[in-house]
Amino acid sequence: MTNLLVIKEQIIKYYARFEIFITPVLKFIVMLVSLIAINANVGFMGRLKNPAIVIILALLSSFLPINVMIVLAALVIVAHMYALSMACAAVVGLVFLIMFVLYFRFTPKEAIAVLLTPICFVLKVPYLVPLAMGFVGGPLSCISVACGTIAYFIMHNVKASAEQMTGTEGVENALSGFRYVIDTIIKDQTMILMTIAFCVTIVLVYLIRRLRINYSWYIALGVGAVINILIILVGAVATDADVSALGVIFGTVFSAALVLVMQFFIHNLDYSRTEYVQFEDDEYYYYVKAIPKISMEAPQNKVRRINPQQPSGGRRNYDMDE
Amino acid sequence: MLNNEKIRLMTRMASFDEVEGKKDIAVNGYFRGDYICFQVLKSAIYGTVGFAVVLALYMLYNLESFLADIYKMDMMAFVKDWLTKYVIVLLIYLVISYFVYAFRFSRSKRRIRAYQQQLKQLHQIYEEENERRR
Repeated sequence: MTNLLVIKEQIIKYYARFEIFITPVLKFIVMLVSLIAINANVGFMGRLKNPAIVIILALLSSFLPINVMIVLAALVIVAHMYALSMACAAVVGLVFLIMFVLYFRFTPKEAIAVLLTPICFVLKVPYLVPLAMGFVGGPLSCISVACGTIAYFIMHNVKASAEQMTGTEGVENALSGFRYVIDTIIKDQTMILMTIAFCVTIVLVYLIRRLRINYSWYIALGVGAVINILIILVGAVATDADVSALGVIFGTVFSAALVLVMQFFIHNLDYSRTEYVQFEDDEYYYYVKAIPKISMEAPQNKVRRINPQQPSGGRRNYDMDE
Repeated sequence: MLNNEKIRLMTRMASFDEVEGKKDIAVNGYFRGDYICFQVLKSAIYGTVGFAVVLALYMLYNLESFLADIYKMDMMAFVKDWLTKYVIVLLIYLVISYFVYAFRFSRSKRRIRAYQQQLKQLHQIYEEENERRR
């Protein structure tokens, strides 16, 4: 355990030291993975699939606020939809607009959850998101997670029915195409079920972890995992949602294990970052670089010789690490 | 001569000023009722935009039947029906907004109070420094 704590402290130390480089790199990676996932699912516009454009957009994102990254990703999706059909682009654009109205009003600081939710779906660990957000976020995190979930299912459904959505020129065709896209998106039982399950799980995990009881974090994780499984399985039986029972159970258990690892790194921890501040008083101008203190030092291995070496004689020497 | 305690305090305050402080100080400029009222009003605008988009989607979805029945349908009943839905949705949205912003206001007040405490400490340090100079 001490070794793990030391590793944790060292990670924080390096993060605090190189935060100015690490954050843009992480943003670049998140945006790159998002764009690759978008292009793999709904890459209907050839030009946007060009690797040079993908890398330029990801590089640009590494210097932009995360909220701008979300808008950029949404615009890329709508552009792909436009290449498929005008009706599809209009519907998806309007659905994104409704989501943004909700999201920007209540949880504009949780942009990363909106981006990471579809990524976790693509990486086949979607249940990680509600469990993790219950720990690091608040009850309103369900808005950002719901936005991410809906965005993923829109891409997934459009990909699955892309053939039926093409060729909608003319008013008559455009209207039927429009209806088809709305039906495809709104009547997806799996999307509705996942969104409800994720929201309930987030709120429940948040409420239990805040209780003043021993092991509240572990209880919250266990209850959250069980409720997530139950809602999805019961919902799948009650509706026609396309969900694999084994996938849900093993996926949730695996996600819970990942959250346990994550919990170790975030619990009772102030990830205060290096800060550069400027101020002045009557006598001086101060340019201060404030670095968070590290409480634990890595133990130094000392070698103590139990049997000092004899100048003569055949006895062996034993070294022992302290 | 540098005063370490003062530098530590000023650093903490400057760091607060740069991140949360700006927003908190802006929030602190309002009375509680005014702030919540302003935010709820903003939510009403956002909610109306969202509802208008949903209505537009609904109208486009049913455009064919809507155009066919436009002379037969009871326009007043249609408008009344949608207005009722709008009011119900907006009310729910505004009640949620009220609680969210009331909570944010009290949290922001708490942080400002801590900041004011630090300001007092700083003032005290200054006074002590001045006395020592005299």
